[in-house]
Amino acid sequence: MADLKNLQKELANLPDEWIALVETSANKIINVNTACMKYFIDKNYTGIVLSASRPCTNLLKLYEENKIDKSKILVLCCVCTGESKQENVIHIGSETALTSMALAISKAFQGVKGRKFLFIDSINTLLIHNEPNSLARFIHSVLTKMRQNNVSGLLISIEKDTNREVRSEIAQLCDKIIKV
Amino acid sequence: MAIAQLLKPALQKSKTIMLELPEESYFEQNYRTIKELQKQGYQGVYVSFHRPFGSISSLLKNQGIDLKKIIFIDVAAALTKESQDKNERCIHISKDIDVDELVKAIYTSLDKIKGKKFIFIDSLTTLTLYKPLSETLRFSEFLMRTVENEKDVKLIFNVAKNLAQKKFIQDVALKIDSVIKV
Repeated sequence: MADLKNLQKELANLPDEWIALVETSANKIINVNTACMKYFIDKNYTGIVLSASRPCTNLLKLYEENKIDKSKILVLCCVCTGESKQENVIHIGSETALTSMALAISKAFQGVKGRKFLFIDSINTLLIHNEPNSLARFIHSVLTKMRQNNVSGLLISIEKDTNREVRSEIAQLCDKIIKV
Repeated sequence: MAIAQLLKPALQKSKTIMLELPEESYFEQNYRTIKELQKQGYQGVYVSFHRPFGSISSLLKNQGIDLKKIIFIDVAAALTKESQDKNERCIHISKDIDVDELVKAIYTSLDKIKGKKFIFIDSLTTLTLYKPLSETLRFSEFLMRTVENEKDVKLIFNVAKNLAQKKFIQDVALKIDSVIKV
């Protein structure tokens, strides 16, 4: 199991147009989130964050505190309804709206120029709000879209807390599994 | 034990093989299997539920696999209703994913190949995300029957290790000649 210091090494060894599943514990998930974002934004990627765990205001504040360039981030926020206007945020409005999420992701792939990655935060939260089979189908569909559009990706999940079958369906689709 | 060593004896005695693969190295085991099949003189049909044609073909090419000896059936792109890459090595199926159409595409592709042949299904469980279990079972049954009636055709199903205990996979495994746990 890699610690946060070794996480960068693991991220550096990813193949081209990678898709990785990052498994961590509940008490590390925020640090893992910011460490991954910082690493790839500093490598000149644009990040598209599908956030089901935190509202966009909270997430962007967290990135700001960690000196992550917010201008290179587009948040697809599933948590809040968008009463507080934020730049670079698209509101999905619900953690259950998988079709709306898929459409927003497709639009983001077309709209965001240059090297980009999709960050899904998190599998566990999406599993609270969606049927396991529907979620696995959604992830399969999004990952196929990513491969067709040459978009890289990170999926974050709390280890030992994820439905075993969903975890297995998703893990087999990824290029690498990183345990932190 | 490496997959090549496990596969070699199984290919000699079995027409149908199920590979139970660890999720952590799933794709690596896939390309190692194809590599070994080519080394043994097989050409075949790669039915891809996991990755679209563009992705799978470039990854296999990077691993030194001869793409001219493989016909791909891109189910992944069809399942997700994505646009499909045009390539002479790739057969696309309609976005409704009719099992009969899929089976027909496999059967027609096999006819175009000479000598020792394989049918490689990269994931049996992925189809169940989109289709009823009964359709997945019908798909596997039909392929097993096809292989039984053909000389020099091997059928390989891949399943993730943690999904191998699912009831329908166990039912399929009962009818398989060799189950290899990697």
